[in-house]
Amino acid sequence: MTAPSRVADLQLTGISKRFGHVTALDGVDLSAYAGQVLAVVGDNGAGKSTLIKIISGVFRPDAGEVVVAGERRTFAEPAASRRAGIATVFQDLALVEVLDVSTNMFLGQFPRRGWFVNRKAMDAQSRAFLDELRITVSSVKTEVGMLSGGQRQIVAIARAMRTGAHTILLDEPTAALGVQETARAAELIRQLRDRGKTIICVSHDMNFVFELADRVQVLRLGRVAGVRDVAHTSKDEVIAMITGSLSDARAGGEVA
Amino acid sequence: MIHAPADRSQPDSERSARPDGSRRGGARVNLDWGRYTQQAGLFAAVLGLGAFFAVKNRSFAAHDNLIELLRAATLYFIVACPATLVLVGGGLDFSVGSVYALGGVNAGLLITHGAPWPLAMLGGVASGVAVGLINAAVSVYLSVPPLIATIGSFFFAGGIAVVITDGIDVYGFPNSFSNIGFGDFAGIPYLIFYAVVIGLVFHVLLEKTTFGYNVRATGGNRGAAAANGIRVARLDMALYAISGGIAALAGILGAARLSTASPSAGGAGFTFQVVTAVIVGGTSLFGGVGTVAGSALGAILFAEINNGLQVINVNPLYQSIFIGIILIAAVAVDQFRRKRRFRAGR
Repeated sequence: MTAPSRVADLQLTGISKRFGHVTALDGVDLSAYAGQVLAVVGDNGAGKSTLIKIISGVFRPDAGEVVVAGERRTFAEPAASRRAGIATVFQDLALVEVLDVSTNMFLGQFPRRGWFVNRKAMDAQSRAFLDELRITVSSVKTEVGMLSGGQRQIVAIARAMRTGAHTILLDEPTAALGVQETARAAELIRQLRDRGKTIICVSHDMNFVFELADRVQVLRLGRVAGVRDVAHTSKDEVIAMITGSLSDARAGGEVA
Repeated sequence: MIHAPADRSQPDSERSARPDGSRRGGARVNLDWGRYTQQAGLFAAVLGLGAFFAVKNRSFAAHDNLIELLRAATLYFIVACPATLVLVGGGLDFSVGSVYALGGVNAGLLITHGAPWPLAMLGGVASGVAVGLINAAVSVYLSVPPLIATIGSFFFAGGIAVVITDGIDVYGFPNSFSNIGFGDFAGIPYLIFYAVVIGLVFHVLLEKTTFGYNVRATGGNRGAAAANGIRVARLDMALYAISGGIAALAGILGAARLSTASPSAGGAGFTFQVVTAVIVGGTSLFGGVGTVAGSALGAILFAEINNGLQVINVNPLYQSIFIGIILIAAVAVDQFRRKRRFRAGR
């Protein structure tokens, strides 16, 4: 499943990030490919969230480089990452509960007609977009606050997609979800993968990772403990890498 | 609601039944009445109370008295319009009572020092905008909560109004100026026309424009708004500037109506009336939710209580007791409604 000779669509090399005395990331490499789901796993404090925030432009790395579709990039702010075609679904989802689905889908980028928000176009486009992702919505005018956790997650992912991004970062997409909702989110992520999107997903949920991901990258104490094809590894091996009882000799290398 | 299909082959057949994505058949119109229950209740209260007063004393329903009632509501309502936007945007502006006085005396002093009155009005409004910008800057850049920032500027602006006038009323305005607050057209005071126009402008601003949508998003979840590229600091600057400018304008209109600009006009009582009218009108203290129409009803309700109690010869001193009860009841009802409406509860 790994594309061995192919150039990665998103490539991080030697990424380091320190906060005061704490080294959150130390020379981390990462390669993600279009049409694949890369899961990033690790214990608390392994540096998963920091890594996501560097790719999404929230943090700037102290060292290392980010290459998107063959082009070297530095993201000074989240908007820069978005412009490069990377959409992030943060753990808190960044939805406004008192506003409806369609308004949330277009937050910060409302379609306009003269001075006014083109409500009709916004609703029609939201519906068309949700339909395209085969998400059924009874009304795009439903307030997000009335939706369940899983439904909110799906709206947040759909919004990330609406921007036309080719790369989607998901930070703990299933953290607040029940079993069924998790399955729905997985279904949606699989659809996106099948459309050729590059997907990077941080998760604690080992079942979710093994069901969904094509490859899994393990972080431990700010370093890469290993990268595996899901098809050629086991939960035990991944957990061993997470806890540190197993580690690839040269951390940071692409294995498999 | 929403669900990603479990079976991936099925939705395709379902989709073919709605080629342009407009399914839902005939039951398409779902105007969300839940949003307006507070206003509907308030409207009923205004009507019911009006009927009660009219039964007690028929002169309550007389044309002249109703016009007077509306006129009394106008200055509060004019200031309540931008105050609604500030609250929907997640802020609070307690300085409006003092800015009302400051705008009036500033314009008044400019007139008595020989400035043409339209220019003097601009000067008065500008002083309100300045206070508003200070409010926003203090709350955004010094991280002082809006409540404290605007109570601070309430004293500050009120103090300036007293200092520049030595605490003495300013008067001696030309008729052309007084007429803008005093005049009427077809028996309806100009003030009511101003209030209607300003109300419509703010209603459209909040409900239809990108600015209004951004205000709602920012008030509903500031972090999410910022994460999605809405410039929340700039939005705050605009909101408080508009609030200050309109409060000053109302003070100037009030001064024109009385032909006197008093440094003791407005004050804490004015601030509380405005904020109370907005909240009773269904605008949430927690941001994101509210309508200008609701604030209009809130302002009218208070004018009605004030007017009606006098008409039926109840000691006006009782008025505050009723207003206090209504405020608490309105917010309690709103909270109850919200808890039922949103699973997360806000």
